[in-house]
Amino acid sequence: MRPLTNNMRGIAAIPVLLGLVTVIVLFLIPKFVHSTYALHMMILIFISIIMGSGWNLLGGYTGQYSVGHAAYFGAGTYTTMILLQYHHLAPWYGVWAGAIMAVIVALVIGSICFRLRGPYFVLASIAVAEIFRVSALNLKNLTNGAEGILITEVPPLRIGGMVITDFMSKVPFYYAGLVIVLVVILVTWRVQNSKLGYYFQAIREDQDAAHSLGINLSLYKNIALSLSAIFTSLAGSLYGLYVGFIDPGTVLGLDLSVQIVMTVIIGGIGTIFGPVIGALVLVPFSEALRSNMIAQALIDSGLVREDSGFGVFLKEQLSHAHVLIYGILLVVVIMYMPDGVMGFIKKLAAKGRKVEAA
Amino acid sequence: MAILEIKDVSKFFGGLAANLDVTFEIQKGMIMGLIGPNGAGKTTLFNCITGYYPPSRGEIVFDGRRMNGLHPDAVCKLGMARTWQKVRPLAKMTVVDNVMVGALCRTNSLAKAREMAIEQIKVVHLENREAFQAGSLPIGERKKLEVARVLATQPKLLLLDEVMGGLNPAESDEIIQLILDIKKLGITQMVIEHDMKAIMRISDRIVVLNSGEKLAEGSPEEIVSNKAVVHAYLGESNA
Repeated sequence: MRPLTNNMRGIAAIPVLLGLVTVIVLFLIPKFVHSTYALHMMILIFISIIMGSGWNLLGGYTGQYSVGHAAYFGAGTYTTMILLQYHHLAPWYGVWAGAIMAVIVALVIGSICFRLRGPYFVLASIAVAEIFRVSALNLKNLTNGAEGILITEVPPLRIGGMVITDFMSKVPFYYAGLVIVLVVILVTWRVQNSKLGYYFQAIREDQDAAHSLGINLSLYKNIALSLSAIFTSLAGSLYGLYVGFIDPGTVLGLDLSVQIVMTVIIGGIGTIFGPVIGALVLVPFSEALRSNMIAQALIDSGLVREDSGFGVFLKEQLSHAHVLIYGILLVVVIMYMPDGVMGFIKKLAAKGRKVEAA
Repeated sequence: MAILEIKDVSKFFGGLAANLDVTFEIQKGMIMGLIGPNGAGKTTLFNCITGYYPPSRGEIVFDGRRMNGLHPDAVCKLGMARTWQKVRPLAKMTVVDNVMVGALCRTNSLAKAREMAIEQIKVVHLENREAFQAGSLPIGERKKLEVARVLATQPKLLLLDEVMGGLNPAESDEIIQLILDIKKLGITQMVIEHDMKAIMRISDRIVVLNSGEKLAEGSPEEIVSNKAVVHAYLGESNA
């Protein structure tokens, strides 16, 4: 292998400029794009990025593969929604209460699961998250059980006496999502370039070695978990407020936990932009499958005849098969891009440099 | 002055005594060799001293402070650091980052840690490997990396668990030189080693363990001429 060049400063200017342009464009999009469907997709992508990045702090950097992150998503969204619907507390405060609740849940789960390592940690994280789902299902007085919570109105956001937004359109959710995405990316970047990030990665690489180098394992694992839980709960609160309805199966289910992990695995684990790429790939992909867009496109393009047996099959069945195709996608990614799309890009770039040098 | 006192330390796994009433002292600045046949309890003793196992009985006093019950991270912060028999590089991090993790035990600033790391990398002569991934290094360099990493935690006492294991003679010689260089820096060392020639050369004093118990202690010359030690290693003499 070849050592990395230390000419980083010059190279870094281009991505920074690119990032700034992207951010400006993203802020301007709602001014020019009025398609509610496009905004809807963007909001879903933002939520996916936020929860993926949250998971990445614990799973990607610290190497603790939690498959129970729905617990934090659910803790956040249930707190926010209950406070809003039954206690009329504005979400502006509710989401922070949700984040605090998620951290409390995280510390409880951490105290149980961090005793375990590797696959045992994974299993414990699933089991504990399921406890929360079943509890939410049965604590009917608190959570309204399987019927879920339907928000009947979101009070307008005020600062002082001024109404900032009334949350009637998708635009405020778009901006809320975008801001949290930027914050989570910034936090991840900051963590990666600090003592915290070094300690997280040391724990990921070898816990015993890390321990012998003066790293308090349970302290740093709990810091990673708490940070992770905060962002996952923010994603949850945003989701709950945006959709206006939550129930235990959707916001506390194993499906959600797996989806969070998959977003990061496909994008690239332990990288800042892995979750972003994962979300950009997975959300539109699953949406296209679900809404029969792919079947329709195949028929429209003339590749498959609508009245043929296969065409009818696609039209009727493909949308039901999205979980199956999700799975196939995961297998393909693991086989051909073991470090996710980000790792694949890095590898291509390295190859390109080698060709250039030769 | 004794930097480390081991007083009647025992460690039981069920009914098995991996260490039984082991007692010795290490004086400041010296190199203490710890030898013994396979299964003698050398690594177990290291694990007890550095906080990986709580000793079942007895007391470990480091720099005047009782260490029993402290966790490995606290032990490291107090100035006692160890390497591993089976090297444990942080494989996906670079050499410099590996050593920085050690240095971050003493500072919160990455810049300062990088400075300290580069200094230690020079001590072990890995300058031209700084930007390499630790996992890509050959075994000899991994062992040196391991040493640089613990040196960066600024230990007063260094415990080296078979740093020469699996190395060829030329590499072993480099490590011997390294251990002697570290002694010159004023750092006390305890060294587990199977290579008798090496351990005799570097040690000021040697403790021999056999079946968990201390069999002998003395200068290298005393140890080679000790009948019990020769017996433990080679078995009953037929002559």
